[in-house]
Amino acid sequence: MMDMTPAAHQQLDDYLQRLRSDLRAAHPEVAEEVEQSVREHIEIALEAVPAPVSGTDMIAILDRLGSPEQWLAEEARAVADRSGDSGAGDSRLPYVAFGLVLVSIASFMFFGFLLLIPAMFVSRAWIEQKRERGEPLGSKRWLVYPSVGLVLAAVALLLLLVPPLGAMALIRHDVGRMFDVPSDPTGELRFHAGLRAVMAGSWWIIAGGLCAAFIRPIRFVFLPLLDRVRRKHFAMLSAIGALLATAGAALIYYRH
Amino acid sequence: MDTVTALSFDNWMTQLRKGLLELAVLNSIAAAPLYGYDIVRRLSDVDHLVITEGTVYPILSRLKNSGLVETYIEESQEGPARKYYRLTPRGRADLHRMNQHWDNLHQAIGGLRKQGKR
Repeated sequence: MMDMTPAAHQQLDDYLQRLRSDLRAAHPEVAEEVEQSVREHIEIALEAVPAPVSGTDMIAILDRLGSPEQWLAEEARAVADRSGDSGAGDSRLPYVAFGLVLVSIASFMFFGFLLLIPAMFVSRAWIEQKRERGEPLGSKRWLVYPSVGLVLAAVALLLLLVPPLGAMALIRHDVGRMFDVPSDPTGELRFHAGLRAVMAGSWWIIAGGLCAAFIRPIRFVFLPLLDRVRRKHFAMLSAIGALLATAGAALIYYRH
Repeated sequence: MDTVTALSFDNWMTQLRKGLLELAVLNSIAAAPLYGYDIVRRLSDVDHLVITEGTVYPILSRLKNSGLVETYIEESQEGPARKYYRLTPRGRADLHRMNQHWDNLHQAIGGLRKQGKR
Protein backbone atom coordinates (compact mmCIF):
# COMPACT_ATOMS: atom_id res chain seq x y z
CA MET A 1 0.00 0.00 0.00
CA MET A 2 1.36 3.40 -0.90
CA ASP A 3 2.52 6.23 1.32
CA MET A 4 -0.36 8.03 3.02
CA THR A 5 -0.98 10.56 5.78
CA PRO A 6 -2.22 9.35 9.17
CA ALA A 7 -5.64 10.86 8.39
CA ALA A 8 -5.86 8.88 5.13
CA HIS A 9 -4.72 5.76 6.96
CA GLN A 10 -7.40 6.25 9.57
CA GLN A 11 -10.08 6.76 6.89
CA LEU A 12 -9.02 3.55 5.15
CA ASP A 13 -8.87 1.53 8.37
CA ASP A 14 -12.34 2.73 9.39
CA TYR A 15 -13.75 1.85 5.97
CA LEU A 16 -12.24 -1.65 5.91
CA GLN A 17 -13.43 -2.22 9.47
CA ARG A 18 -16.97 -1.25 8.43
CA LEU A 19 -16.72 -3.45 5.35
CA ARG A 20 -15.62 -6.46 7.41
CA SER A 21 -18.36 -5.88 9.94
CA ASP A 22 -21.03 -5.59 7.20
CA LEU A 23 -19.66 -8.70 5.48
CA ARG A 24 -19.96 -10.75 8.64
CA ALA A 25 -23.42 -11.93 7.61
CA ALA A 26 -22.16 -13.07 4.20
CA HIS A 27 -20.80 -16.50 3.38
CA PRO A 28 -17.06 -16.60 4.38
CA GLU A 29 -16.00 -17.20 0.74
CA VAL A 30 -18.06 -14.27 -0.53
CA ALA A 31 -16.84 -12.06 2.31
CA GLU A 32 -13.20 -12.85 1.55
CA GLU A 33 -13.66 -12.33 -2.17
CA VAL A 34 -15.45 -8.99 -1.82
CA GLU A 35 -12.97 -7.65 0.75
CA GLN A 36 -10.05 -8.67 -1.45
CA SER A 37 -11.60 -7.01 -4.51
CA VAL A 38 -12.37 -3.80 -2.64
CA ARG A 39 -8.80 -3.67 -1.31
CA GLU A 40 -7.46 -4.16 -4.84
CA HIS A 41 -9.81 -1.43 -6.10
CA ILE A 42 -8.55 1.04 -3.49
CA GLU A 43 -4.91 0.20 -4.22
CA ILE A 44 -5.37 0.77 -7.96
CA ALA A 45 -7.35 3.96 -7.36
CA LEU A 46 -4.53 5.24 -5.13
CA GLU A 47 -2.01 4.83 -7.96
CA ALA A 48 -3.51 7.88 -9.64
CA VAL A 49 -3.12 10.00 -6.49
CA PRO A 50 0.17 11.80 -5.65
CA ALA A 51 1.92 10.45 -2.55
CA PRO A 52 1.49 10.88 0.32
CA VAL A 53 -2.24 10.26 -0.07
CA SER A 54 -4.18 12.88 1.88
CA GLY A 55 -7.32 12.31 3.92
CA THR A 56 -9.34 14.26 1.33
CA ASP A 57 -8.12 12.08 -1.54
CA MET A 58 -8.91 8.96 0.46
CA ILE A 59 -12.41 10.21 1.30
CA ALA A 60 -13.03 10.89 -2.41
CA ILE A 61 -12.05 7.31 -3.35
CA LEU A 62 -14.10 5.77 -0.53
CA ASP A 63 -17.11 7.97 -1.33
CA ARG A 64 -17.08 6.73 -4.91
CA LEU A 65 -16.97 3.16 -3.61
CA GLY A 66 -19.99 3.93 -1.43
CA SER A 67 -21.28 2.46 1.80
CA PRO A 68 -20.74 -1.32 2.03
CA GLU A 69 -23.90 -1.59 4.11
CA GLN A 70 -25.94 -0.08 1.28
CA TRP A 71 -24.56 -2.15 -1.58
CA LEU A 72 -24.58 -5.37 0.38
CA ALA A 73 -28.23 -4.82 1.31
CA GLU A 74 -28.99 -4.10 -2.35
CA GLU A 75 -27.23 -7.31 -3.38
CA ALA A 76 -29.10 -9.33 -0.73
CA ARG A 77 -32.41 -8.01 -2.09
CA ALA A 78 -31.31 -8.81 -5.65
CA VAL A 79 -30.47 -12.39 -4.67
CA ALA A 80 -33.81 -12.81 -2.90
CA ASP A 81 -35.69 -11.38 -5.92
CA ARG A 82 -33.68 -13.55 -8.31
CA SER A 83 -34.44 -16.76 -6.47
CA GLY A 84 -38.10 -15.77 -6.46
CA ASP A 85 -38.12 -16.28 -2.74
CA SER A 86 -40.73 -14.36 -0.85
CA GLY A 87 -39.11 -15.36 2.40
CA ALA A 88 -42.24 -17.14 3.59
CA GLY A 89 -40.67 -20.61 3.40
CA ASP A 90 -37.51 -19.52 5.18
CA SER A 91 -39.33 -17.76 7.93
CA ARG A 92 -40.87 -21.05 9.03
CA LEU A 93 -37.53 -22.70 9.78
CA PRO A 94 -36.75 -20.70 12.96
CA TYR A 95 -40.26 -21.49 14.27
CA VAL A 96 -39.75 -25.19 13.49
CA ALA A 97 -36.40 -25.11 15.30
CA PHE A 98 -37.86 -23.36 18.33
CA GLY A 99 -40.86 -25.73 18.34
CA LEU A 100 -38.54 -28.73 18.37
CA VAL A 101 -36.68 -27.23 21.36
CA LEU A 102 -39.97 -26.86 23.27
CA VAL A 103 -41.05 -30.42 22.35
CA SER A 104 -37.61 -31.64 23.39
CA ILE A 105 -37.98 -30.04 26.83
CA ALA A 106 -41.55 -31.31 27.23
CA SER A 107 -40.65 -34.87 26.22
CA PHE A 108 -37.38 -34.94 28.13
CA MET A 109 -38.60 -37.90 30.23
CA PHE A 110 -39.05 -40.04 27.12
CA PHE A 111 -36.44 -38.94 24.61
CA GLY A 112 -33.92 -36.99 26.67
CA PHE A 113 -32.62 -34.13 24.59
CA LEU A 114 -32.62 -36.17 21.38
CA LEU A 115 -34.93 -33.73 19.57
CA LEU A 116 -32.38 -30.96 20.05
CA ILE A 117 -30.29 -32.51 17.28
CA PRO A 118 -32.88 -32.00 14.49
CA ALA A 119 -33.63 -28.56 15.97
CA MET A 120 -29.97 -27.70 15.65
CA PHE A 121 -29.87 -28.92 12.01
CA VAL A 122 -32.93 -26.83 11.11
CA SER A 123 -31.42 -23.77 12.81
CA ARG A 124 -28.09 -24.18 11.06
CA ALA A 125 -29.80 -24.66 7.68
CA TRP A 126 -31.62 -21.36 8.14
CA ILE A 127 -28.51 -19.54 9.37
CA GLU A 128 -26.49 -20.83 6.42
CA GLN A 129 -29.18 -19.75 3.97
CA LYS A 130 -29.14 -16.25 5.45
CA ARG A 131 -25.36 -16.09 5.32
CA GLU A 132 -25.26 -17.21 1.70
CA ARG A 133 -27.58 -14.37 0.80
CA GLY A 134 -25.65 -11.91 2.94
CA GLU A 135 -28.78 -11.11 4.93
CA PRO A 136 -28.76 -10.26 8.64
CA LEU A 137 -30.41 -12.82 10.94
CA GLY A 138 -32.76 -10.20 12.37
CA SER A 139 -35.02 -10.76 15.35
CA LYS A 140 -35.70 -14.41 14.36
CA ARG A 141 -32.22 -15.23 15.60
CA TRP A 142 -33.74 -15.56 19.08
CA LEU A 143 -35.74 -18.53 17.78
CA VAL A 144 -32.65 -20.39 16.57
CA TYR A 145 -30.21 -19.45 19.33
CA PRO A 146 -31.77 -21.82 21.93
CA SER A 147 -31.21 -24.98 19.86
CA VAL A 148 -27.65 -24.06 18.88
CA GLY A 149 -26.92 -22.84 22.44
CA LEU A 150 -28.32 -25.95 24.15
CA VAL A 151 -26.42 -28.34 21.86
CA LEU A 152 -23.29 -26.24 22.38
CA ALA A 153 -23.75 -26.42 26.17
CA ALA A 154 -24.30 -30.19 26.01
CA VAL A 155 -21.23 -30.75 23.84
CA ALA A 156 -19.12 -28.46 26.05
CA LEU A 157 -20.22 -30.34 29.18
CA LEU A 158 -19.53 -33.70 27.57
CA LEU A 159 -16.16 -32.55 26.32
CA LEU A 160 -15.05 -31.01 29.60
CA LEU A 161 -16.39 -33.49 32.15
CA VAL A 162 -16.94 -36.92 30.62
CA PRO A 163 -13.33 -37.86 29.75
CA PRO A 164 -11.87 -37.05 33.22
CA LEU A 165 -14.84 -38.59 35.07
CA GLY A 166 -14.63 -41.66 32.81
CA ALA A 167 -10.94 -42.01 33.53
CA MET A 168 -11.63 -41.68 37.25
CA ALA A 169 -14.23 -44.43 37.10
CA LEU A 170 -11.79 -46.69 35.25
CA ILE A 171 -9.00 -46.37 37.80
CA ARG A 172 -11.29 -46.20 40.87
CA HIS A 173 -10.44 -49.71 42.07
CA ASP A 174 -6.70 -49.32 41.51
CA VAL A 175 -6.30 -45.98 43.30
CA GLY A 176 -5.54 -47.66 46.62
CA ARG A 177 -2.79 -49.76 45.03
CA MET A 178 -1.31 -46.87 43.05
CA PHE A 179 -1.21 -44.26 45.82
CA ASP A 180 -0.87 -44.08 49.56
CA VAL A 181 -4.44 -42.91 50.30
CA PRO A 182 -4.79 -41.39 53.80
CA SER A 183 -7.16 -43.17 56.15
CA ASP A 184 -8.53 -40.02 57.86
CA PRO A 185 -11.66 -38.53 56.18
CA THR A 186 -10.09 -35.06 55.58
CA GLY A 187 -6.96 -36.52 54.00
CA GLU A 188 -8.99 -38.94 51.90
CA LEU A 189 -11.26 -36.12 50.70
CA ARG A 190 -8.24 -33.96 49.90
CA PHE A 191 -6.65 -36.82 47.96
CA HIS A 192 -9.74 -37.62 45.88
CA ALA A 193 -10.46 -33.94 45.17
CA GLY A 194 -6.83 -33.50 44.12
CA LEU A 195 -6.94 -36.56 41.88
CA ARG A 196 -10.10 -35.30 40.15
CA ALA A 197 -8.57 -31.86 39.72
CA VAL A 198 -5.42 -33.34 38.16
CA MET A 199 -7.49 -35.51 35.81
CA ALA A 200 -9.83 -32.68 34.77
CA GLY A 201 -7.02 -30.12 34.54
CA SER A 202 -4.83 -32.38 32.41
CA TRP A 203 -7.74 -33.13 30.11
CA TRP A 204 -8.64 -29.42 29.79
CA ILE A 205 -5.07 -28.68 28.70
CA ILE A 206 -5.44 -31.27 25.92
CA ALA A 207 -9.03 -30.20 25.09
CA GLY A 208 -7.95 -26.55 24.80
CA GLY A 209 -5.19 -27.56 22.38
CA LEU A 210 -7.53 -29.76 20.31
CA CYS A 211 -10.20 -27.06 20.10
CA ALA A 212 -7.59 -24.46 19.08
CA ALA A 213 -6.35 -26.81 16.35
CA PHE A 214 -9.87 -27.41 15.03
CA ILE A 215 -11.21 -23.91 15.61
CA ARG A 216 -12.64 -23.50 12.08
CA PRO A 217 -14.97 -26.52 12.06
CA ILE A 218 -16.00 -25.79 15.66
CA ARG A 219 -16.84 -22.19 14.79
CA PHE A 220 -18.72 -23.34 11.69
CA VAL A 221 -20.86 -25.90 13.51
CA PHE A 222 -21.89 -23.48 16.24
CA LEU A 223 -22.37 -20.37 14.13
CA PRO A 224 -23.21 -17.68 14.99
CA LEU A 225 -22.70 -18.23 18.72
CA LEU A 226 -18.98 -18.98 18.38
CA ASP A 227 -18.40 -16.45 15.63
CA ARG A 228 -16.10 -14.40 17.82
CA VAL A 229 -14.28 -17.23 19.53
CA ARG A 230 -10.56 -17.07 18.92
CA ARG A 231 -7.66 -19.43 19.63
CA LYS A 232 -6.77 -17.36 22.68
CA HIS A 233 -10.05 -18.41 24.33
CA PHE A 234 -9.10 -22.07 24.00
CA ALA A 235 -5.62 -21.19 25.23
CA MET A 236 -7.37 -19.79 28.30
CA LEU A 237 -9.11 -23.15 28.79
CA SER A 238 -5.70 -24.85 28.66
CA ALA A 239 -4.31 -22.30 31.14
CA ILE A 240 -7.23 -22.91 33.54
CA GLY A 241 -6.60 -26.63 33.12
CA ALA A 242 -2.95 -26.15 34.00
CA LEU A 243 -3.89 -24.18 37.13
CA LEU A 244 -6.44 -26.80 38.15
CA ALA A 245 -3.99 -29.65 37.58
CA THR A 246 -1.32 -27.84 39.62
CA ALA A 247 -3.78 -27.20 42.46
CA GLY A 248 -4.83 -30.86 42.31
CA ALA A 249 -1.23 -32.04 42.39
CA ALA A 250 -0.60 -29.82 45.45
CA LEU A 251 -3.64 -31.33 47.20
CA ILE A 252 -2.37 -34.86 46.51
CA TYR A 253 1.13 -33.97 47.62
CA TYR A 254 -0.08 -32.47 50.90
CA ARG A 255 -2.73 -35.14 51.54
CA HIS A 256 -1.29 -36.23 54.88
CA MET B 1 -42.45 16.78 -11.14
CA ASP B 2 -44.25 16.37 -7.78
CA THR B 3 -42.72 14.40 -4.89
CA VAL B 4 -44.81 11.26 -5.40
CA THR B 5 -43.98 11.09 -9.12
CA ALA B 6 -40.30 11.74 -8.40
CA LEU B 7 -40.23 8.96 -5.82
CA SER B 8 -41.85 6.40 -8.10
CA PHE B 9 -39.54 7.42 -10.96
CA ASP B 10 -36.51 6.95 -8.65
CA ASN B 11 -37.87 3.58 -7.58
CA TRP B 12 -38.40 2.55 -11.20
CA MET B 13 -34.85 3.68 -12.05
CA THR B 14 -33.44 1.69 -9.11
CA GLN B 15 -35.27 -1.46 -10.14
CA LEU B 16 -34.19 -1.07 -13.76
CA ARG B 17 -30.59 -0.39 -12.79
CA LYS B 18 -30.48 -3.44 -10.51
CA GLY B 19 -31.71 -5.70 -13.29
CA LEU B 20 -29.39 -4.26 -15.90
CA LEU B 21 -26.24 -4.12 -13.81
CA GLU B 22 -25.71 -7.86 -14.04
CA LEU B 23 -26.17 -7.77 -17.82
CA ALA B 24 -23.80 -4.81 -18.07
CA VAL B 25 -21.11 -6.55 -15.97
CA LEU B 26 -21.28 -9.68 -18.14
CA ASN B 27 -21.16 -7.64 -21.35
CA SER B 28 -18.17 -5.64 -20.11
CA ILE B 29 -16.06 -8.80 -19.98
CA ALA B 30 -17.51 -10.44 -23.09
CA ALA B 31 -14.76 -9.23 -25.44
CA ALA B 32 -11.78 -9.65 -23.13
CA PRO B 33 -11.06 -10.37 -19.46
CA LEU B 34 -10.94 -7.28 -17.24
CA TYR B 35 -9.92 -6.68 -13.65
CA GLY B 36 -12.42 -5.37 -11.10
CA TYR B 37 -11.34 -1.74 -11.16
CA ASP B 38 -11.48 -1.64 -14.96
CA ILE B 39 -14.98 -3.14 -14.99
CA VAL B 40 -16.12 -0.50 -12.50
CA ARG B 41 -14.56 2.31 -14.60
CA ARG B 42 -16.28 1.10 -17.77
CA LEU B 43 -19.65 0.80 -16.10
CA SER B 44 -19.23 4.20 -14.45
CA ASP B 45 -19.10 5.74 -17.93
CA VAL B 46 -22.70 4.63 -18.49
CA ASP B 47 -24.98 7.31 -17.03
CA HIS B 48 -26.93 6.34 -13.89
CA LEU B 49 -25.87 2.69 -14.11
CA VAL B 50 -23.36 2.60 -11.26
CA ILE B 51 -24.30 4.87 -8.40
CA THR B 52 -21.60 3.58 -6.05
CA GLU B 53 -18.60 1.69 -7.41
CA GLY B 54 -18.60 -0.95 -4.66
CA THR B 55 -21.98 -2.27 -5.87
CA VAL B 56 -20.19 -4.17 -8.62
CA TYR B 57 -18.07 -6.38 -6.32
CA PRO B 58 -20.83 -8.42 -4.63
CA ILE B 59 -22.34 -8.94 -8.10
CA LEU B 60 -19.01 -10.19 -9.46
CA SER B 61 -18.70 -12.52 -6.48
CA ARG B 62 -22.21 -13.85 -7.07
CA LEU B 63 -21.59 -14.35 -10.80
CA LYS B 64 -18.44 -16.25 -9.93
CA ASN B 65 -20.27 -18.46 -7.43
CA SER B 66 -22.97 -19.11 -10.02
CA GLY B 67 -20.31 -20.34 -12.43
CA LEU B 68 -20.89 -17.58 -15.01
CA VAL B 69 -17.50 -15.95 -14.57
CA GLU B 70 -14.11 -17.15 -13.38
CA THR B 71 -11.07 -15.31 -12.09
CA TYR B 72 -7.33 -15.49 -12.44
CA ILE B 73 -4.54 -13.39 -11.00
CA GLU B 74 -2.08 -11.58 -13.22
CA GLU B 75 0.94 -9.62 -12.04
CA SER B 76 0.97 -5.95 -12.99
CA GLN B 77 4.02 -3.78 -13.57
CA GLU B 78 2.07 -0.69 -12.50
CA GLY B 79 1.06 -1.85 -9.04
CA PRO B 80 -0.56 -4.74 -7.16
CA ALA B 81 -1.45 -8.00 -8.92
CA ARG B 82 -4.83 -7.75 -10.62
CA LYS B 83 -7.66 -10.22 -10.34
CA TYR B 84 -9.11 -10.66 -13.83
CA TYR B 85 -12.66 -11.75 -14.51
CA ARG B 86 -13.61 -13.67 -17.66
CA LEU B 87 -16.75 -15.42 -18.85
CA THR B 88 -17.02 -19.18 -18.52
CA PRO B 89 -18.61 -21.12 -21.43
CA ARG B 90 -21.80 -21.23 -19.38
CA GLY B 91 -21.57 -17.50 -18.71
CA ARG B 92 -21.13 -16.84 -22.43
CA ALA B 93 -24.19 -18.96 -23.30
CA ASP B 94 -26.29 -17.23 -20.60
CA LEU B 95 -25.11 -13.81 -21.76
CA HIS B 96 -26.10 -14.65 -25.33
CA ARG B 97 -29.61 -15.51 -24.17
CA MET B 98 -29.79 -12.43 -21.96
CA ASN B 99 -28.69 -10.15 -24.81
CA GLN B 100 -31.25 -11.72 -27.16
CA HIS B 101 -33.95 -11.15 -24.59
CA TRP B 102 -32.80 -7.58 -24.09
CA ASP B 103 -32.90 -6.94 -27.86
CA ASN B 104 -36.43 -8.36 -28.10
CA LEU B 105 -37.53 -6.27 -25.15
CA HIS B 106 -35.94 -3.14 -26.58
CA GLN B 107 -37.63 -3.74 -29.93
CA ALA B 108 -41.00 -4.40 -28.31
CA ILE B 109 -40.82 -1.26 -26.16
CA GLY B 110 -39.77 0.70 -29.27
CA GLY B 111 -42.83 -0.66 -31.09
CA LEU B 112 -45.11 0.35 -28.24
CA ARG B 113 -43.60 3.83 -28.19
CA LYS B 114 -44.18 4.20 -31.92
CA GLN B 115 -47.81 3.18 -31.50
CA GLY B 116 -48.19 5.71 -28.70
CA LYS B 117 -46.88 8.51 -30.90
CA ARG B 118 -49.42 7.85 -33.66
